[in-house]
Amino acid sequence: MSAPPLGMAAQLHAQCAMPDTPDDALMALIDRIARQDAAALKALYDLTSGKLYGLALRVLRRNEWAEDALQDTFLQIWRTATDYRASLSPPMAWLGLIVRSRSLDQLRRRRAERDHLTDEIDDAMADTLEGDSPNPMDTSLASQQAWALHQCLSRLENKQREVVSLAYLRDLSHGELAQQLQLPLGTVKTWIRRGLDQLRTCMARFA
Amino acid sequence: MKLHHHPELLDRLAAAHALGTLRGGARRRFEALAREEPAVRAAALIWQGRVAGMNELQMPQAPAAAVWTRIDNLVRADQDSRAMAMARRAPSVQTPAGGGWWRNLTLWRGATAAGALATVLALVTAVGLRDQLGAEIGALQARLATVPTVEYVAVLNDDSASPSMLVTFDPNNRRLTLQRVGDFQESADKSLQLWALPPSGAPRSLGVLGQERLLRLAAAEGDVREVPTLAISLEPKGGVPSETGPTGPVLFKGPLIQKML
Repeated sequence: MSAPPLGMAAQLHAQCAMPDTPDDALMALIDRIARQDAAALKALYDLTSGKLYGLALRVLRRNEWAEDALQDTFLQIWRTATDYRASLSPPMAWLGLIVRSRSLDQLRRRRAERDHLTDEIDDAMADTLEGDSPNPMDTSLASQQAWALHQCLSRLENKQREVVSLAYLRDLSHGELAQQLQLPLGTVKTWIRRGLDQLRTCMARFA
Repeated sequence: MKLHHHPELLDRLAAAHALGTLRGGARRRFEALAREEPAVRAAALIWQGRVAGMNELQMPQAPAAAVWTRIDNLVRADQDSRAMAMARRAPSVQTPAGGGWWRNLTLWRGATAAGALATVLALVTAVGLRDQLGAEIGALQARLATVPTVEYVAVLNDDSASPSMLVTFDPNNRRLTLQRVGDFQESADKSLQLWALPPSGAPRSLGVLGQERLLRLAAAEGDVREVPTLAISLEPKGGVPSETGPTGPVLFKGPLIQKML
């Protein structure tokens, strides 16, 4: 298998990212929020809400639900910013995990509230893998680790990347993915297995 | 089987576990192994970190402006309640010679409730009739419901952002309390009028203010629920009808915040 020159690109990225990164600015804001500085919360919101809302929308699809998830996210940041340092995470990784958790909470809550409307929710969530159009990725503010994943995901076929991404982002089983994407179960399983195998080979180079 | 002796399999399981596609019994067995074998736990954590990068790669989208407003409201309410909690604790420190405890609002609220309870218990004992107990409990609940609780707060500022009026709403007693905190005093031929500014639709009058510094207006919770903003306008003496809307200048304005505690 021919190995593309990932190493050099990663190195370059690491060098550019060393001093004065957006990470430093974000961490400084989170530290201020931990000291109950409301202005810092607003500044963090201005910097990251677009990115975080994009994630919530990808998980939830509906503006109203994603807005609720974003609101829950920032209240959690306000209350738990003191825990950030102990997480040892890059700031966007920490923020992203909160958004995904609060978004999945929303999804569970909406399902529980309207059990009889499960079909409607599934319809709303249904993604069609139309043609082979790539779902665009965005590396703004991304941590080095996410940047590495981006490199490896870019090497997957579009459909494989989409299925692998949705499995994680929406916490879906093979069966649920097959249903939402209207694909045969065997196809979903094959794409996920191949996608993960390629990701493992690729990510090992960044270790 | 020691999973860490099979690095290829361990890597595959850890990746599937992090992605979430390892399910059911296989997931439980993997997690049990991770608790026992540090090498398995390490592989699981490494893959959780790698896969979580997915969260950071989504295209940005602009949320509606109202989202920040909601967050800001809740954060302010949170700060207010912390400040109140601090203020309650503070007097015992600031006045070591005593005189702190009797100003403690919580204590007095508790005492009021306890007083109500004692009254009812005394009544129950005096009457001594079991079948009246239900009625007495009802009376107790009614009495407790009249202990004031502040559930909505607004600080209305003037043009130069100086606080001019503190407004609180107690839903139990259906009472708005207004306290003038600035030194504005309208002339004798004018009245101040309080308005609810609903998110859509025209302003609704909540009442006309007298000249005193502390005043009360009757209001139902429906009048203030989901009203984001209160405003006070300067009107002809006695105010104007609600349907007219404010006719004079708006002097003070501020967001109405529902307290979460």
